[in-house]
Amino acid sequence: MVSDSVQPAIPAIEIENLRFSYGTKEVIHGVSLSIPANQITAFIGPSGCGKSTLLRCLNRINDRIPGAAITGGSIRIGGIDISRPDLDLQVLRRRVGMVFQKWNPFPKSIYDNIAYGLRIHGETNRKALDEKVEHSLRVVALWDDVKDRLKTSAFGLSGGQQQRLCIARTIAAKPDIILLDEPCSALDPLSTLKVEELLLELRNDYTIVIVTHNLAQASRCSDQTALFYLGELIEYGNTSQMFQAPREKRTEDYITGAFG
Amino acid sequence: MPDTSHNPVPSGHPFCRRGRSTEGLIKAFFGGNAALTIVILVLIILFLLREGVGFFPEYRTELQNFRKSGLEFVDIARKDLTAHEQMGSLLNRAYFAQVNSNCREEMQRLEEATAIVNYLGEATAPAHDALVQVTDAESNSPPTPELLQKLSAQYRKRLADALSGRLGKGFPPTPHLSRTEQQLLCDQIAARDPLSTDDPAFANELQASLAAKRELSAAPLIAFRDAIDAFQSSSSALDVLVSETSDTVKATKEAAVLHGIQVRKRQTLLDAARTAKPDLRSQLEADIAAAVTTEPVDFTAAMAPVLARIPQFKEANAAMSAGLTEVSEKLPLSLSDEKADRYLKAFRAATPAMAAETADTVGLLEGWRADVPVGIGMTISGFISGRDWITGGEWQDIYGILPLFIGSLMISIIALAIAIPFGVGAAIYTNQLAGPRQQRFVKPTIEFLQAIPSVVLGFVGIAVLGTLLQEVSTLDSLSWIPGFPIQQRLNMFTAGCLLGLMAIPTIFTLSEDAINNVPAAFAEASDALGASKLQTIFRVIVPAAISGILAAVLLGLGRVIGETMVVLLVAGNRIQIPDFTDGIGTVFQPAHTLTGIIAQELGEVPFGSVHYRALFVVGILLFVIVLAINWTAQRLLRRFRISQH
Ligand SMILES: Nc1ncnc2c1ncn2[C@@H]1O[C@H](COP(=O)(O)OP(=O)(O)OP(=O)(O)O)[C@@H](O)[C@H]1O
Ligand SMILES: [Mg+2]
Repeated sequence: MVSDSVQPAIPAIEIENLRFSYGTKEVIHGVSLSIPANQITAFIGPSGCGKSTLLRCLNRINDRIPGAAITGGSIRIGGIDISRPDLDLQVLRRRVGMVFQKWNPFPKSIYDNIAYGLRIHGETNRKALDEKVEHSLRVVALWDDVKDRLKTSAFGLSGGQQQRLCIARTIAAKPDIILLDEPCSALDPLSTLKVEELLLELRNDYTIVIVTHNLAQASRCSDQTALFYLGELIEYGNTSQMFQAPREKRTEDYITGAFG
Repeated sequence: MPDTSHNPVPSGHPFCRRGRSTEGLIKAFFGGNAALTIVILVLIILFLLREGVGFFPEYRTELQNFRKSGLEFVDIARKDLTAHEQMGSLLNRAYFAQVNSNCREEMQRLEEATAIVNYLGEATAPAHDALVQVTDAESNSPPTPELLQKLSAQYRKRLADALSGRLGKGFPPTPHLSRTEQQLLCDQIAARDPLSTDDPAFANELQASLAAKRELSAAPLIAFRDAIDAFQSSSSALDVLVSETSDTVKATKEAAVLHGIQVRKRQTLLDAARTAKPDLRSQLEADIAAAVTTEPVDFTAAMAPVLARIPQFKEANAAMSAGLTEVSEKLPLSLSDEKADRYLKAFRAATPAMAAETADTVGLLEGWRADVPVGIGMTISGFISGRDWITGGEWQDIYGILPLFIGSLMISIIALAIAIPFGVGAAIYTNQLAGPRQQRFVKPTIEFLQAIPSVVLGFVGIAVLGTLLQEVSTLDSLSWIPGFPIQQRLNMFTAGCLLGLMAIPTIFTLSEDAINNVPAAFAEASDALGASKLQTIFRVIVPAAISGILAAVLLGLGRVIGETMVVLLVAGNRIQIPDFTDGIGTVFQPAHTLTGIIAQELGEVPFGSVHYRALFVVGILLFVIVLAINWTAQRLLRRFRISQH
């Protein structure tokens, strides 16, 4: 539980009355939510309630799915509505990085995995690359484990290491916001703990949004929590407050395990 | 406690297995099919090996005779002669290219005028022929004036039609003749007597002006021409020697072959006589006595007169060396025409090799021995690295697969150079860039290419592609492309193009599969890092699929190398190592291939002959090549699947 979360909450992301459909099926029905900068916001809720969908709207990665579209409302990041069709997605995604539920390093070496994001954004200087790769790996506490085998395949790492590598890959590109979709759901408790520690450290530099099924995780490492149910926002607020004194009956039911 | 004893399930119990016998039958049926396939494959391999293996010992015996009768000796000298001829032709080509370079305009004008004359001649041919027939027939009574008039009218009508361009393909284009000149030519033809076939005056004029221009541009080259002529005549002594000695050794060889046949015949008769009935035996014995009518050949004696001429060979050889040195000094330093200069340079480049070859000939001739046996290793290496594949001649059949192998290789390279960009490019496009509607259209269309029978593609190659390429290559504006204008309509390039077309579906389908199998998570991760579509494709997806794509290319290569019909029809079938002095233009030369030679020659060779067996060895070689390619491809594919988890 994070207690000192009384920083001035500058909104990094402002979602207003957002509606989203896969083809003709609407799965988010008018959600409004303001996510503060430099804090960790957790999305919780029963399976299928639209947490991932909402998260994937924030960097418009849902555009990959044919027929998926924002059908109403707006998402403002840095003061601009990112649902506009003429938005430069590459720039948006540089600023809003994402870590996926199933770790997905590229079939490349450990080094190239991290350097990839830098290279596609035009970094060619060998020394600068080396430095940034090392820095990113240090941030995720992987450097000491892998510094002797940077040129070997990333698939040779354990699951937890691969997931941290993916986080390093994301932060190497220097985003402002990091989105994580159940990053620990396939990790053992020890690896989970390491990732959580890492997130708490990253909070100082990044705005973090994390989807999780693990209520304990949400209460351990998030500042704000949003509970969704069937595509609607049920309750949103300070994590400690929400877990100790939920305003809504459904929230109480959910966190005590009465449904979900 | 589990029941460890293997008692059968009591019959009637619901767990008792039923229908066991049909299951066994089905299993046996499919197992039998699989086994049969494998057995057939093994039999094919055994058959190939049995037919092929006998080749080397038999070929070796032939080579032994080749040596003993002195054919080899003459060939040593003849090699110089051939090289000399080729060098001479290089010089001639340089000379004529230089002369003609100044007359291009005149040549084109004459060509166009001739085209018009031919066109009008063809158009009026039926009437003209009829006229010739009626007036020429001596036996018949002279034609009636009405008939003459009718035919003449027909002639005039056809001519008028042709002149207005109404017949057939229409008037040939004449970009280098002015309108008035063209009109003049047409008028002259129109005015010509229907029976006459004389060229119109204007055509003669053009001919004369071309000749004059030729003479004019040849004038400064007089010294060059003389040097060439001197060079060419420096080999005449050797020419005479070779042709005379080759007659001698050929006679020796033929006598030896005849004797060998007779001896074999007697052996067969002897074997037959041993088991024959008594009443037949007397007849057989008479045959046996008459079987061998020739004396065994005394090779040494037969060769003596040839060897006695070695001093003459020496002289002739010296004359040729001198000719080469002399011409090298007299050649112009460079020629202004680019093509002519290329030939001249090629001559210069080949001079040292030619000199070396001429220099060592005398030593080779003197050191030649008829009685050195031909080793089996030499036979095999001669087969693999031999530069000649000569069959069906009366001299000596030589089996060297290098020209065929190079032909196959070059055509495959051309085919892949065409098929890889198209096949892989189309795969990337379809899988990554195209919308679902384009995908539904592109995929089946490309795969449909596979359904075109290769013989049909061969037609297309001969009738359309070859002709089209050749026509296009004569355009002035394209003459900078190496190898243009194309000399041979059927060449490696046309064959390569068609084979490339055939390989595209294979490469396309398999690469598309490979790209499709790249987990979407990779592309998603790349997108999420802000990569552009192209960056994702070329830095993540294609590298992840690369071993699959390579396997696709290899399987395409296997298809191309094994393909027969198209190369047989379109590659031009010239058994010769291409002349690489043309640079990239080499691809426009004709070639023969490993597959083509089998298809072409297997039907004509006597069953069981050395030639027949040689073709089997080529078949084995092909089999091994394709097998190796496919095996590598399979390995690559396996690696690809493993790397995708
Ligand atoms: N690609 C898709 N096409 C169509 N419908 C989809 C697609 N992806 C998700 N959905 C639907 O959208 C709704 C929300 O799905 P989403 O994945 O956002 O849920 P979630 O809250 O992340 O669930 P979980 O906790 O199981 O991951 C679900 O009803 C789901 O069936
Ligand atoms: Mg989800």
